[in-house]
Amino acid sequence: MEARVSRYEVNSLLYRLKKDPEFRARFVANADAALAGADLTDAERAAFVARDMRKINELGGYLHLVMSIPGLAGH
Amino acid sequence: MGRIVFAGAMSHVLDPDYYDRACGELGRRSVVAAMDEIARMGERLSATNPDALIVVADDHLNAFSFNCVPALCVRIGRRVQRMVQDHAEAFDKVLDHMPTEYPLHEALGNAILEQGLAAGFDLAMSWEAPVDHAFLSPINTMHGARPIPPLVPIFVNAFVAPQPTARRCFAFGQHIARVVAQSPWKVGIIATGGLSHFPELSLPRVGETDTVFDRRLIHWMETGEHGPLQELTADELHKTGSHEFLNWMVLLGAVTPARAEVRYFGELPRINLAAVEWRLA
Repeated sequence: MEARVSRYEVNSLLYRLKKDPEFRARFVANADAALAGADLTDAERAAFVARDMRKINELGGYLHLVMSIPGLAGH
Repeated sequence: MGRIVFAGAMSHVLDPDYYDRACGELGRRSVVAAMDEIARMGERLSATNPDALIVVADDHLNAFSFNCVPALCVRIGRRVQRMVQDHAEAFDKVLDHMPTEYPLHEALGNAILEQGLAAGFDLAMSWEAPVDHAFLSPINTMHGARPIPPLVPIFVNAFVAPQPTARRCFAFGQHIARVVAQSPWKVGIIATGGLSHFPELSLPRVGETDTVFDRRLIHWMETGEHGPLQELTADELHKTGSHEFLNWMVLLGAVTPARAEVRYFGELPRINLAAVEWRLA
């Protein structure tokens, strides 16, 4: 149960990337800086910086979010 | 005395360009064929001159984020808005050309909500949640240029574990049938999504389906065997990529023991497309 409901940080970040164009632009310009305040593990942070949607999905990112973030979507 | 005058269920990404990109020419041809059948279902719905159309569908983390994910939610109020997404991609892009606002059947939505709470269903309510392709792609395909009847959108949490059970969704559908029967209205109901796709919500497995599982579901719906359908587990639905069948379970509860007739079933690498209609007494 823990693993299925504890991915809040990853998913709230994905949601923000999808719905907040200004944050998305900051992330695209400098991912490290945009993620500075995010409460992520090293593996999660590395996956976001690499824009590795497969890894983000593997780490608990919901599929429909990783498939639909404008300009960053995994397919 | 009110009654359900139409019941149908169908896949809900109804976009030839999307399937062309995902599956090539076969994808385009298949979804166009499915959409033709869904449009004919819409003509039969319109012929009943319904007072309202209940749409049971799921959110794709568009209306509800991580502030709250309701298991079952009735969208109440007078109007509902289309989800807005800048630079939409993939399944979000199908919304781009659709009308931005739709009327709701406020009295029926309130009745389902209020009588549901009184009957023991701890339903969520929303006055503001927008609706995404899961709601709007089917209803626009069904109606084309004809007016869309006042809607009652009902959200089922299909994707964010833990979800409501298949049995609970079926029971909620039975509740809807009771509310409609005690109302003065002729009501259509559709459920959307599926059939199998995106097993385990795993990006590397996008492109897999489970046709054996889908055909089993269809068999049970065609024969009116709703007992085994209520036994479906969250694990089965997750592994086969049948999360959205929970929406169909609500409809099945509303029309049981009616039998289904398949209007379209087509296998694609990305999803098995389906359109099903129920023979109502």
